[in-house]
Amino acid sequence: MGRYVVRRLLQMIPVFIGATLLIFLMVNVMGDPIAGLCGERQCDPATAAQLKKEFGLDKPVWQQYLTYMGNVFTGDFGTAFNGQKVTELMSTAFPVTIRLTIVAILFEIVIGITLGVVTGLRRGRPVDTSVLLFTLVVISVPTFVTGLLLQLLLGVEWGWIKPSVSTDATFGELIVPGLVLASVSLAYVTRLTRTSIAENRRSDYVRTAIAKGLPRQRVIVRHLLRNSLISVVTFIGTDIGALMGGAIVTERIFNIHGVGYQLYQGILRQNTQTVVGFVTVLVLVFLVANLLVDLLYAVLDPRIRYA
Amino acid sequence: MLLEVRDLHVEFRTRDGVAKAVNGVDYGVDAGETLAVLGESGSGKSVTAQAIMGILDIPPGRITGGEVLFQGRDLLKLKEEERRKVRGAEMAMIFQDALSSLNPVLPVGDQLGEMFVVHRGMSRKDARAKAVELMERVRIPAAKERVKDYPHQFSGGMRQRIMIAMALALEPALIIADEPTTALDVTVQAQVMDLLAELQREYNMGLILITHDLGVVADVADRIAVMYAGRIVESAPVHDIYKVPAHPYTKGLLESIPRLDQKGEELYAIKGLPPNLMHIPPGCAFHPRCPMAQDVCRTDEPPLYEVNGEEPARRSACHFWRECMNG
Repeated sequence: MGRYVVRRLLQMIPVFIGATLLIFLMVNVMGDPIAGLCGERQCDPATAAQLKKEFGLDKPVWQQYLTYMGNVFTGDFGTAFNGQKVTELMSTAFPVTIRLTIVAILFEIVIGITLGVVTGLRRGRPVDTSVLLFTLVVISVPTFVTGLLLQLLLGVEWGWIKPSVSTDATFGELIVPGLVLASVSLAYVTRLTRTSIAENRRSDYVRTAIAKGLPRQRVIVRHLLRNSLISVVTFIGTDIGALMGGAIVTERIFNIHGVGYQLYQGILRQNTQTVVGFVTVLVLVFLVANLLVDLLYAVLDPRIRYA
Repeated sequence: MLLEVRDLHVEFRTRDGVAKAVNGVDYGVDAGETLAVLGESGSGKSVTAQAIMGILDIPPGRITGGEVLFQGRDLLKLKEEERRKVRGAEMAMIFQDALSSLNPVLPVGDQLGEMFVVHRGMSRKDARAKAVELMERVRIPAAKERVKDYPHQFSGGMRQRIMIAMALALEPALIIADEPTTALDVTVQAQVMDLLAELQREYNMGLILITHDLGVVADVADRIAVMYAGRIVESAPVHDIYKVPAHPYTKGLLESIPRLDQKGEELYAIKGLPPNLMHIPPGCAFHPRCPMAQDVCRTDEPPLYEVNGEEPARRSACHFWRECMNG
């Protein structure tokens, strides 16, 4: 196990370098970052040249990358063009997004798994068909539609929630945005759980559990669910990474100043340092989440052994 | 009688039609007695067992008639909660494939101990001690260390021993073993079968042994019930049946056992296939495959004839049981 973790951590290094290099190059191709600084009008060539020198943009790309990565490892993610440190932006943005992700994951676990179990046990019945249809709708409708619709109905028309989230972004305010963010994954979790439950329900060990005279609830929770959740947990785990970075649309709609919002602003203003910095951290989050999922997999299914 | 099944009928309703899996089965077993239920796949032997245990998949399965009298009460009339308390505690079942029948993600000790936690309200710690005791009882080496192991960490024979231990846990009056040795190596088969027979004697349990292996049956069974297309076609004490079968199907089964003195000769096989349970032939279900079939077999369903008047009772569902026994 220990050796496996070390090997996985070592494997992360090339992935990390590759991913960051790629994003660094892509941001570089986006265009001249200086151009955006002077607003609508053309920059004065002398100022532009001076700024380029100041930010090290006159050096070749590979050198910029090396300098950048060197700084990253000392905890310096550079400075945004407005003078704010990128780490400062992160320290305000990440807690907000983490809270949003927690809300979303909780929705996936509680609602997704519950619906999956209920439908999996009643396959082909009306409950099953309606939930299945509903998940199909949720999967097909883009997040910005569900998001805007809920904002309009709950926030503007009925006034149940504030249409836009304050800078504090408390858990209470994040319930509806979290649901919107989770919606598509939630539908997938429901379907995944349903399939898994329906499949395992006919398995021999469930029959054994019934033959042992165990109460129905114990058969379902301890024997059926435990086995069925292995694939679902994997999905939810990898989804953590996706939700953290993929909240751009949801954060825009509800005006949440989290990671997605900062990334969006960064791309809009061609703010290289912000974009690269945030993406670098997201790459790390994704890698660590994946490793944790793989380790959790071995805990849930003792037949899997890592060496 | 410890258990008496009377005129049991079970159907499966599927999209393609109704499959009549069990069509009026009668059999019984006494305490300390071993009844072997013999038959091909699809003869209804496992379905009957599942109906007795109350673990049929309902739907698509449905019990359409009959009684299952266990220690005097009809199990089919019990409420599900009362029925559940009988399962595992008073009658237990051993399944064919222990690897798939044990929960892959729980240590065997937990699965054994669960019986005591649920039925006896024991603490988990006491249940764990009981689990070790049971594992020692079925002679699993180093039980104390192995109680925390998972099913896949055991060999096939050891896993089946764990299944047996689980069935024995609460010392039930009846054990139903559904092909308990089919998935095992031949050498291990004998060990597991001997263990089962020994424990049965010790606890004076009734045992229903479902199998299609005639070799296993001869050694351990007291009585044999042969099933075909969801009915009992012959039922007799084990030695009588091996000596002179009273039904052409039983005869065919016995003749299809490979024998050492027939080396090089082609193996005998009953011609044809078991009937489709959605379209069971009229009359005697076996007539399309029967070498002795006459016109009456195509129209009249044979009752279970008393082959000998005295005890132990012997019955055959063949119009021509006399002719069968004479040649």
